[in-house]
Amino acid sequence: MWNFFPRDFVCIYREMFKRKRECKKLKGMLSPYIDGQLSPSEVKGVERHIEECDACRRELESLRAVVGLLHRVPMVAPRRSFTIAARAPIRRPVALRALRVATAVAVLMLVFVFAGDALHLFEEGRVEDRSTPQEYTATSTPMDGEGLDTELKAFEGGYAWPVRYVELALMGVVVVLGGTTVSLWQRTRERERAVKG
Amino acid sequence: MRVCLDEGAMSDRMCPMEEEELIERSKQGDLDCFNLLVERYQRQVYNLCLRMLDNTHDAEDVTQCAFISAFKGIGRFKGGNFRAWLFRIAANGCRDQLRLLRRRPTSSLDALPLDLELEDRRAPSPEEYAINQELGEHIRHALAGLPADQRLAVILRDIMGLDYEEIAQSTASSLGTVKSRISRGRARLREHLRQYVELFP
Repeated sequence: MWNFFPRDFVCIYREMFKRKRECKKLKGMLSPYIDGQLSPSEVKGVERHIEECDACRRELESLRAVVGLLHRVPMVAPRRSFTIAARAPIRRPVALRALRVATAVAVLMLVFVFAGDALHLFEEGRVEDRSTPQEYTATSTPMDGEGLDTELKAFEGGYAWPVRYVELALMGVVVVLGGTTVSLWQRTRERERAVKG
Repeated sequence: MRVCLDEGAMSDRMCPMEEEELIERSKQGDLDCFNLLVERYQRQVYNLCLRMLDNTHDAEDVTQCAFISAFKGIGRFKGGNFRAWLFRIAANGCRDQLRLLRRRPTSSLDALPLDLELEDRRAPSPEEYAINQELGEHIRHALAGLPADQRLAVILRDIMGLDYEEIAQSTASSLGTVKSRISRGRARLREHLRQYVELFP
């Protein structure tokens, strides 16, 4: 079979493949070669190869040109200083966290009371179940305080415990706590922004 | 030290305190000492961020955040190369910012034109100046087109002038990885620049 291929032809091909393999290996070494990161024996190998190989020599020259260009990229002076301003320790986040929890609890309670009121959950203790308005007229006069009590209970919707007052009080608590939380949160954000510059 | 700061002397020249001492005092919460370190390294950290992000506004934000993070975490600095440690924090910040920008791309007007330094000191002709500016723009685009890891390695080596060992510390990677990233990054830059200019033989 070897008779069909002249011996020189095989040698040339073998040489070509060897050179190609060497070039491929060398390409990865050119960058460290420029930076002086190779061992003396590797440096000798690279120098021997680029003496013989035009393609690799051109590759090395072009890489050197790129490195030369990058060395010309200037160091820019920053437009401002990045020193950190001294601040009092920020204690707000702890207070803020507690306030957020308190607001959430108050809102939940308010929602519960509203929902209970809307679904008539508190109706078991209605006043008219225990005493009717007719009894008041029969046993007492309007001036002895009972009439006032009746008006009060009418405002309360006839419930045994003051649901409306509880609702109003909870709404007040939610407004105060919510307002304080929002204002604290905004102040904390402004402070953080100022620290970041 | 206090006298030195009270006089407003914040530079190395006027307050020659050793870096190790400044770091130790910063660990104890001395902000003035840490600010001396900030003044010493802010130019380098800013330039790293600027070349990584290609945007002055983002670079300023990331630089500031990097120094704040460094101050908060200086207790975790166990000695060694402080500059490399700072660069690592800044590089992580740049990576986060690049990730954010990829998710929410913006057309920023804050990109700073890159004017290359001239090879000789004489005043350039208008033509040389224009070519220089154009070349600077091509380099800027070519750098922006590199993968973040390769860009970081090339910037640290060829623009900031760090050695391979320091780059390995700054990027928390091995020397082999650093060599490979620099090599691939430079090769990609060469291919990119070849499209624009007849620089190469």
